Amino acid sequence: MSKSPLEKTLESGISFLSKIFPIKRYLYFPLLNASLFWAIKRTKEWKEKIFSWKVWLDPERVQQKPDDFILSFFRDHPDLRRCFGPEIRKKDMTSLRGSFARLYPILGLEDPFLSALFHEEMKSNDYRKIVKEFDQKVGQAEKDISEAKNQSQLIRVLKDFAGEMVSLNLELISQEKVQKVIAEVIKKQIRSKDG
Amino acid sequence: MAKVCPREKAAGSEKASVAFFLLLMCVSCFSLFSSCVSHLKEAKVHYTQGQKYSRLYQTQDALGSFKRALEEAERVVSKRPSSQAYMLKGMTELKLKLWQDAEESFRLAHSHGFEKGEEWAQQVSLLGLALSLEELWVEDSSLRIYIFLIEKSKFSPVTVLAAQRYTDVMLKRALLLEGKEREKLLASVLKAVQKLSDGDLSCGFYHYLRSQILSHFSDYGESFESALMAKELGLPTEEILRDNDLQIVYCYQKLKEELSPEEWEDFRVKYMEWVKKWNWKGPEAPSWQKER
Repeated sequence: MSKSPLEKTLESGISFLSKIFPIKRYLYFPLLNASLFWAIKRTKEWKEKIFSWKVWLDPERVQQKPDDFILSFFRDHPDLRRCFGPEIRKKDMTSLRGSFARLYPILGLEDPFLSALFHEEMKSNDYRKIVKEFDQKVGQAEKDISEAKNQSQLIRVLKDFAGEMVSLNLELISQEKVQKVIAEVIKKQIRSKDG
Repeated sequence: MAKVCPREKAAGSEKASVAFFLLLMCVSCFSLFSSCVSHLKEAKVHYTQGQKYSRLYQTQDALGSFKRALEEAERVVSKRPSSQAYMLKGMTELKLKLWQDAEESFRLAHSHGFEKGEEWAQQVSLLGLALSLEELWVEDSSLRIYIFLIEKSKFSPVTVLAAQRYTDVMLKRALLLEGKEREKLLASVLKAVQKLSDGDLSCGFYHYLRSQILSHFSDYGESFESALMAKELGLPTEEILRDNDLQIVYCYQKLKEELSPEEWEDFRVKYMEWVKKWNWKGPEAPSWQKER
């Protein structure tokens, strides 16, 4: 079966990224997803600008929300309500506040990088795993990206990828659907390389 | 045909050389001048573009533009330093949070005749100091500096950042307190931000901060109004915009519990008009939010 332009673009993005991060494959999805997100949000002029992707959040803002805001966040989200039922019932704010600081950027603010970084955990509704591994995983990603040997090449690769994706008029498709396709193509690519 | 004596010929040739040299100098000076003018113009264009992107929540585009503006401004000051070029360089460095560089640029702008340069440099230096103290956990001193800047600074990039840091630190402290002590501390933060907001009603970010503080008081009506003002006036980043949207939804939910049926119906009708205007998917679903 012939490949769609979306798949072709994704494959070339992955192929370039694999040259920069041959081992750290876990970065492909967050980087490509975040690049696409910010590219779609921009107007045409973004191509003229220096490309830099948005990854990190200001943790301060998240940490000083009132207790009731945090409780509402857990109660209003059906999966979180199920997962953190005991803490919600006991109003264990120390524990909930700690989990909130890690989950709010992903499930509340929907940060494109973080939501892709924890895509698998979210798919399996394993929110406790996100809380447990958040600091280590995010810290590792930050370190791996900053240590990439050729930063300018990385930026160029992401810029080209985002440009290609934007030219496919992906604004017309929901971000969730595009995210799903990206995840699937990346998985397929990695499997075929491993196989 | 008139004969030209060798001395006259030599003098003529010398004059021609001088004229050529002067012409060359003029051309070089002109091209240097026009190149500086063009770099300055470019720097201004990129800076203005950066501001435009900031207003549209396109943070990364804004950063890109500010970086380009800085590159151009650096070219100008290296070839033809002027108060205007240093001031533009300083403003761009502020946007990129390069505090020490901005301070130096404002000082140099002052030495080239920009009157306010020294004052701005001092304020940027104080802000940089407060941020460093905060990193070293010397919070009391950093808070004093933030309050000073909130009250005295007329330089808005500094005031906005000081207000943000002050609010963040104070709210963090308030969470550790209870009862009257907590209320007192929250009241002092609210007063400081309120003053800023009154002084610059068009700054969406001050309304955002006010909304955040008011929700600690469980004053959802006022918090909602401030969040609405913030959304309408514009916010600096995508994540703050989203956080503000979630604050609007949160206030809506709380008011639903709190208001009498008549009050609620009145509020709901008005709220739904905003929802329509913002193109939200529903009263509790901002347009950017994934379906649950």
